[in-house]
Amino acid sequence: MFIFTKMTQIPVKINNKNPRLASYILSQYGGPDGELGASLRYLSQRFAQTEKSGIALLTDIGTEELGHLEMIGSIVTQLTKGEGAKSFDRYGVGDYYIDHANGVYPASAAGVPFSAAYLQSKADPIADIMEDMAAEQKARATYDNILRMCDDPDVTNIIRYLREREVVHFQRFGELLDMLQSKIK
Amino acid sequence: MENNRQMSAQQLMQKVSEAAFYVTDLKLYLDTHPDDARALRMFGEASRNAKACFEAFEKRFYPLFATSADCDSDWEWLVGTWPSQKMA
Repeated sequence: MFIFTKMTQIPVKINNKNPRLASYILSQYGGPDGELGASLRYLSQRFAQTEKSGIALLTDIGTEELGHLEMIGSIVTQLTKGEGAKSFDRYGVGDYYIDHANGVYPASAAGVPFSAAYLQSKADPIADIMEDMAAEQKARATYDNILRMCDDPDVTNIIRYLREREVVHFQRFGELLDMLQSKIK
Repeated sequence: MENNRQMSAQQLMQKVSEAAFYVTDLKLYLDTHPDDARALRMFGEASRNAKACFEAFEKRFYPLFATSADCDSDWEWLVGTWPSQKMA
């Protein structure tokens, strides 16, 4: 089960407003390589893992990704707090405002709603971990793209941190893959 | 944690999040290196430190876990900065 803790992994404190930047960052909430897909992928795949290390790692990384989902939602909220229809329109994201106003909705930067088709669960530990390693690289690359678009240091610091976590997760999944493959041999 | 009396909520939360992060990161490492004696020792120390940080924060500011919420006269769980909010 899960126990909620009233804090984020690192504090989220954004001073400036920027609805357009918020709409880009929202892709890591409900986009194709975002944190919702990551957490659902690992938390679903873990049921078919056979080794304790695999069950534990997918549970623990899946849980951390849920925490990252919350951080992304918090960044989006703080970047748009108090901004109205006109401001969203000026920033070029009036279309988002029409459907969701200041709400956080799981969608990609281009407005495509979240889909479970972004992830797989094959009951094959090797196939699943290989997917997970690719997923971590795609998430890392998306954070790189966000960093290229972002000039707000409050946001950049958090995005850099989240990017670094994807690199650590990739490393741990690689170790798990080695462990699983050596058991087969 | 001897100086936490002078710290603001924001400063003490920084300590809490650093301590909790250390536990999170070591936990992932131990999932794939369960026999690493040095990491096991580090985890024990990190875990004790994180618990002390949580307790120090909750004692001075507000509950981080629902089980810590005071319910003598009102519902203290509502108090504090929620993850969607900006800490003052």
